[in-house]
Amino acid sequence: MPRAIRGVLVECEPSIKSIIINIDRKNHDYIIEDLDETHLVIQENMIANLKMHIEDVLKDSYQKVKHIDDSDEDMI
Amino acid sequence: MSVLSVGAQSYQLSDYLEKLPGTTFRRLYQQPSTAFAIFRRMLPHLAKTFVMALLYMPGPMLLSELDIWVRPDSKLHRDRALSILRSLHIVQITPPSKDKPQEMSLTTNFKNSLRMALEGGGNHNSFGVPSSLPVDPAIDIAFLDRYARKKWDDILHFVVDSVAENRSTAASSGPKASVKDLLLAGRLVERRSLKGPVAITQAGFAFLLQEANAQVWTLLLLWLEAASAPGSQLEVVDMLSFLFMLASLELGRAYDTDALTEPRRNMLPSLVDFGLIYIPRDTPRQYFPTRLATTLTSTASALRSVGAGFDAASSATAEADVAGLGEPADEKGSIIVETNYRLYAYTNSPLQIAVLSLFTQLQIRFAGMVTGRLTRDSIRGAIDHGITADQIIAYLAAHAHEQMARAAAVAGRPVLPPTVVDQIRLWQLENERMAATRGYLFKDFDSEEEYAALSGYADEVGVLVWKSDARKMFFASKVEQLRDFMKSRKKIEG
Repeated sequence: MPRAIRGVLVECEPSIKSIIINIDRKNHDYIIEDLDETHLVIQENMIANLKMHIEDVLKDSYQKVKHIDDSDEDMI
Repeated sequence: MSVLSVGAQSYQLSDYLEKLPGTTFRRLYQQPSTAFAIFRRMLPHLAKTFVMALLYMPGPMLLSELDIWVRPDSKLHRDRALSILRSLHIVQITPPSKDKPQEMSLTTNFKNSLRMALEGGGNHNSFGVPSSLPVDPAIDIAFLDRYARKKWDDILHFVVDSVAENRSTAASSGPKASVKDLLLAGRLVERRSLKGPVAITQAGFAFLLQEANAQVWTLLLLWLEAASAPGSQLEVVDMLSFLFMLASLELGRAYDTDALTEPRRNMLPSLVDFGLIYIPRDTPRQYFPTRLATTLTSTASALRSVGAGFDAASSATAEADVAGLGEPADEKGSIIVETNYRLYAYTNSPLQIAVLSLFTQLQIRFAGMVTGRLTRDSIRGAIDHGITADQIIAYLAAHAHEQMARAAAVAGRPVLPPTVVDQIRLWQLENERMAATRGYLFKDFDSEEEYAALSGYADEVGVLVWKSDARKMFFASKVEQLRDFMKSRKKIEG
């Protein structure tokens, strides 16, 4: 007898997927099923929370880049 | 309730009119000013030619004769003109039948009203009654333009200010509460939290990019829509014909409020709030249409480009001219974007600065110029408000300084630096890196056959989103049909 599990199918790049897996590693409360390289099924109520976490991770990595390329001060 | 579901596209008069039933049109066309305004504003030239030809024909004309008038290679234009004329209930065409050829004629009310509008006569007063009271000489066209501009700028400011950092501009009295409610109802701005400040939406940004005339119509249609809600005192057909009447009035002239019907007098306060008319405080029996009202049905300002229209709406210092309310004498853009994401805008207009601050991290403001930077955060902030990357790029391109356009033309490059354009798009994509679909994961099938049957059926009914034959799993966006399918399979097997 097949089962139907409620959830949200997330399609993303492998790089984002690895971030999601990293976030899930702590409590295993996000991922229902890891489908393939670019697809995951996520708990429906955790989606907003997950987006926020990914945002944080991305922001950190971008902040580093920004400091290098921001040469405002010496241009004025 | 189409206004409430309005997306990125703003509301247009033609869309609104096309949805009205034929009976509404019959009543609208009782007013010569309405018939005339529709004729003037809503019809392409070929359609106008048809109407003029039919206007004084004693009887219906054979549809086949139209083929003689129109060159065969312009059949597309002919069909378009005819479909517009039919959707506006100006022309009626008899249904095709075997024993009688198709005939076309103007609808009675439209024909009579348009004839009356052209020939004059009648006592319909549908083109307004000038006031016989003495007119205050201080109220001239320049005064009315300043007044209308102030009112309209207040409304635009309200839309923009919702996110602008600089709150000092809000000190100028904003629009009336009724206007704010309309903007909220039309989802041009929205309240994120119950008591919080309002924030601009994607539709609101599209609204800002429209030319002034289209903006006025957007707001007026929101007003009409609100009035057609149950329990409202105002009557939509009368409101529309009143607007068309206002459009036919003469700028700078005083008109008599006593000649208006009671319901129309009740509309005046709202129209004052929009800046369409001006009523002097000491002579409340007079009203002056402003340029916003008199250009409602003129195609001159309707045909302006989006960019020019926005300049017209945003340039605070511009003098009014004939084409539209305060269109600047020179229509050149003011924004320079460099490859290092720096942005310079040669402007004094608080409104344009406020618009820029929606998606730019502004740094320094000089007299006549602001500088800023397009950053990931500033663009993301705009995207969070529902403004799309394409809208931002379109805005920058439309307002690019002529120096940029010239340099680009010489080098054969696009006006905006491609790196910046790409980066703005990438910043938006970042947000969309995850495509999420709600639904159900189907797994643990007993047999290959069961999996194949159900996933095949899911694909057939269009709910299959993802599947893996190897793992015997699939993801469907809906479960109901699949459940029924499984049940019926059970029955057959059992």
